[in-house]
Amino acid sequence: MSSPKGQQIDLASLSTQQLSQVKKQLDDELEHLTNSFQQLRAAQAKFRECLRSIATGVSSKADGKPILVPLTTSLYVPGKLADTEHVIVDVGTGFYVEKSTTDATKFYEAKVKELEANLKDLQSIIEQKSNNLRVVEDVLRQRVLSAGNAAAATA
Amino acid sequence: MADVQQRLQALSEEYQKLQTELQNNIQSGQKLESQRQENKGVQKEFAGLDDGANIYKLVGPVLLKQDKTEAVMAVDGRLEFIENEIKRVDKQIKDVQDKSDALRTEIIRAQTEAQEQGAQTQVAA
Repeated sequence: MSSPKGQQIDLASLSTQQLSQVKKQLDDELEHLTNSFQQLRAAQAKFRECLRSIATGVSSKADGKPILVPLTTSLYVPGKLADTEHVIVDVGTGFYVEKSTTDATKFYEAKVKELEANLKDLQSIIEQKSNNLRVVEDVLRQRVLSAGNAAAATA
Repeated sequence: MADVQQRLQALSEEYQKLQTELQNNIQSGQKLESQRQENKGVQKEFAGLDDGANIYKLVGPVLLKQDKTEAVMAVDGRLEFIENEIKRVDKQIKDVQDKSDALRTEIIRAQTEAQEQGAQTQVAA
């Protein structure tokens, strides 16, 4: 997703107006990227939760033990697991696949790992963007300061 | 003078309209792209399954069992459709971009014209 720097532009050659435009654009980009970052984080947490559920809820340890199945948030019925070997996994776009618990664990681990890689990429992009933003802000601040000084000098 | 002003306003309104259109197109392009990613993931997942694997499709609130071949076909068909849609939207985006570029040069031309006219009336006055 990162756009390579097509060309180098000397920030000092831009007008104050153009600089604030660049700053706004960077602000927007940064906000969008941080949002995506949080969403990825949330997705990763969800997959981790699935892993935990398989490990604690669907193992052979849980075999034969009674469980309470939520029908609504306030109504539960007693039940027991008919199958501690298999789970049905949402693979996306409305498709569900029956998997053994080991396969399902592998599936979720792969997902978590994939997201980890994405998060890392995104993090470096965010860092780079915030660096850019800082530079632009610095130039902008100097510009405003020197403009103020010049105005004071002529006055 | 008022004539040029009016033309300028009409042009910039049209330009704004094109910009919103562009935004909409880009948004639908992004949506399609995420759908493509999701379907690709499902396709990959299906490729690693045995033929006998149990696949269910969510229809409303219930899970319906589906043949693997059927499911694979459904996903392949969807991907093909999405690719075509992406191509279509990309072309639309390019068209709108070209149009708005042309319009921008026209606006700039109208602006300089207006300035020249303004200068002339000043000189005359």
